[in-house]
Amino acid sequence: MAFLQAVIDGLLIGGVYAVISSGLTLVFGVMGIINFAQAEFLMLGMFVAYFAWQLLGLDPLIGSLISFAVIFCLGVLVQMTLIQRVLRAPPVAQIFATVGLLIVIENAALIAFGSDFRSVSTSYQTSALRVGPIFISVPYLAAFLMSLLSGCALWLFMNKSWYGRAMRATAQDPMAANLMGIDADRMRQIAFGLGVGLTAFGGAVILPYFTVHPTVGQQFVVLMFTVVVLGGLGSVAGAVVGGLTVGVIQSVSTLFFPIQLQNLILFIVFITMLALRPTGLIGAAR
Amino acid sequence: MSAPILEIRNISKRFGGLQALDDVSFDVARGEIVGLIGPNGAGKSTLFNTLVGLHSPTSGSVRLEGEDITGLKPHKVAARGMTKTFQNVALFAETSVLDNVLIGALLRSNVAEARKIAEGCLERVGLVGIANKLAKDLSFPERARVEVARSLATQPKVLLLDEVMAALNRVEMQEIMALIRQLRDDGLTVVVVEHHMHAIMSLCERIIVLNFGRKIAEGSPEDISRNPEVVRAYLGREYA
Amino acid sequence: MRYWIGLAAIGIAAALPIFLDPMGYPIRVLTLAMLFAALGQAWNIVGGLANQISLGHAAFFGLGAYTSTLLLINFGISPWLGMVAGAAVASLAAFLLSFPTMRLSGHYFALATLAFSEVLRVIATSWSEVTGGPVGLSVPFSPDSFVQLQFRSTLPYYYIILAALVLVSVVFLLIRESALGYRLRAVKENVEAAEVIGVDTTRVKIIAAVISAALTAMLGTLYAQFMYFFDPDAVFGIVAISVRAAIVTILGGAGTIAGPIIGAFFIIPVEELANSYLSSRTAGLSQLAFGLALIGIILIEPRGILVLIKEGTARLRKGGKL
Repeated sequence: MAFLQAVIDGLLIGGVYAVISSGLTLVFGVMGIINFAQAEFLMLGMFVAYFAWQLLGLDPLIGSLISFAVIFCLGVLVQMTLIQRVLRAPPVAQIFATVGLLIVIENAALIAFGSDFRSVSTSYQTSALRVGPIFISVPYLAAFLMSLLSGCALWLFMNKSWYGRAMRATAQDPMAANLMGIDADRMRQIAFGLGVGLTAFGGAVILPYFTVHPTVGQQFVVLMFTVVVLGGLGSVAGAVVGGLTVGVIQSVSTLFFPIQLQNLILFIVFITMLALRPTGLIGAAR
Repeated sequence: MSAPILEIRNISKRFGGLQALDDVSFDVARGEIVGLIGPNGAGKSTLFNTLVGLHSPTSGSVRLEGEDITGLKPHKVAARGMTKTFQNVALFAETSVLDNVLIGALLRSNVAEARKIAEGCLERVGLVGIANKLAKDLSFPERARVEVARSLATQPKVLLLDEVMAALNRVEMQEIMALIRQLRDDGLTVVVVEHHMHAIMSLCERIIVLNFGRKIAEGSPEDISRNPEVVRAYLGREYA
Repeated sequence: MRYWIGLAAIGIAAALPIFLDPMGYPIRVLTLAMLFAALGQAWNIVGGLANQISLGHAAFFGLGAYTSTLLLINFGISPWLGMVAGAAVASLAAFLLSFPTMRLSGHYFALATLAFSEVLRVIATSWSEVTGGPVGLSVPFSPDSFVQLQFRSTLPYYYIILAALVLVSVVFLLIRESALGYRLRAVKENVEAAEVIGVDTTRVKIIAAVISAALTAMLGTLYAQFMYFFDPDAVFGIVAISVRAAIVTILGGAGTIAGPIIGAFFIIPVEELANSYLSSRTAGLSQLAFGLALIGIILIEPRGILVLIKEGTARLRKGGKL
């Protein structure tokens, strides 16, 4: 019974992991670079939602939409000024461009927001629904539903909208896309904005049960990358599968292992996947 | 007539849905110059890659001097005496010519000896005075020769040349062909993939023809040029 | 010719402390600079010679620091022996890590190494009973003992770390000029071609990784003894250690022996200066500057200062403008 509870909890949180990681995988899929600063945008998303709550009284679930919008714009800006310039540079330059970005964002946040830990309080923070013998935490459920919604929105966008299809075209063959009249640069800007926006959205959505702090991104680094590698770098569907899997693995392992080992298990999953099947469970080779 | 130096038996290679090689078999005798031809995509480079161990065959076996080398990693195959040159010339671009060849010689010697061997190999392929040039600054014929020199430095018994004459003009091709004959006279066995028909015809004693991963013909240059299947493979049905 | 420059540099470095206050700040900064130069040099073996960009060297650094300090605290073992133990642990870790990362390069390799050191950092932070948790570890106090590698004045540390820098640099040089060095170069340029002409690329990568890890761990121990105290973020930190090791080398010129030294002696003093000027006001300002500078440099010349200088002087020699 504890096992079933753990699985349910794992799936709920896994849904959020999926959204957070889908941003990372999207950036890789369209541009071929791993954004080492991705977790910092999660942190920024959390802060935006936090201030929306504190100053405007908005519930973080609504605030998450604002987070998405704000960070999307920031992402486009970053892409135009920095990422675009290193797309043709050797991997060394690309890696350290985003690492530098990580340092800048985290420390800018430290300076701007200070190093206090903050959290929101919502009316439903501690409530839980009861379904038979299982408890479903309301904030978890709310986060999961928001993730589900955003996942559907993303799917619709990628598959049914012109922009989405243009983006996928750019990912597969930038030159052909250009010849078809698609502005590949513009697509990449949108892709990056979308990618970091999604991660920011995910961060905002879990605000009800997380404390926000400029270094909170660190907690998600290994997790995000594990999800993405598991699902296959570049595959959003893979991020979903990976997210749910990681959520469940994490949740179930609390039953059997102390917390230190949980991270080790996650890492073993990560490194095994990377070694045996770098394309992930679902992903397409790039 | 002693046993063949290279025995290729039923080599098949599948990449996902694509059957790149299908049941290819042939022998190479010691001291032969054998040609491997076929239209683009026939599987010639894939066969070479499988022989040296860059790919493992899906099925089949390769024996070098009687020893089974199927599935061995390329450096082990090189140690046993077989190596290849690359279609798009894979020299170490930011490295000097001498160092390029030296690295090949390191297989069997220490650094000091390797340097001497490298100098000897460069001489053997007719290159003088460019030892300190960076590989990326070489002309096409020079690059081809350096790749051959590098392979020679590993002291191979069998050398697989993958379109080593690709970017050469008539004169340069003649020089390379003379070099290949010289290497054979010195005791090497050579398998050559080439698209220049006249080069293959005049260089090779025996020719293997691949199409769509299958061996469709094997024989002397005259037999091959008259073989209707070969003609059809290259020129299409109407010309057979 | 270059050897004379090297020897002269060592001579200058050895003589320098005569002019400095052994308890003062400048000598401390220089010692730290030399430590990070050595760290960069160790990274250089993998990152410079083989072009495997590791973002996880903090893993080995931290393993060295924690191993020797825990042995000291729990069993009273001298840090010199602890250093060897730390190197052994790190070597094993590097060896094991080599297998799943063997076919990776570029972004993927960076990612895998980053994840590894992050996991170690989290484990160190949460395994309080053993590692002291987020609070960190203090080296037990026993002043002025060579055996315990502890001194009141910075001067002995200066010379020990100078010796370490020379050692790591010599190892780098020996590797580069040896058969291993040639093979690493081949692996760096074209793995397939290297294999085909007889280079056992797997073995070569493993050997380089293990040597680099062992040296890095040794430096971790020296760091612990020098600073008297460290926490998981200080020794397993991405930015604190891994990025710094890489940047110091890349800035000065990856693959060259002088690169990490130039890079470290540029970055560390500047950082310390910025720290004392800026950070008293707001935490993070100097780090922010560091990040911005990093981005700036990437955008201008990703290959490092040495390249800029080389090309600059080459253009000067060809006659005319810079």
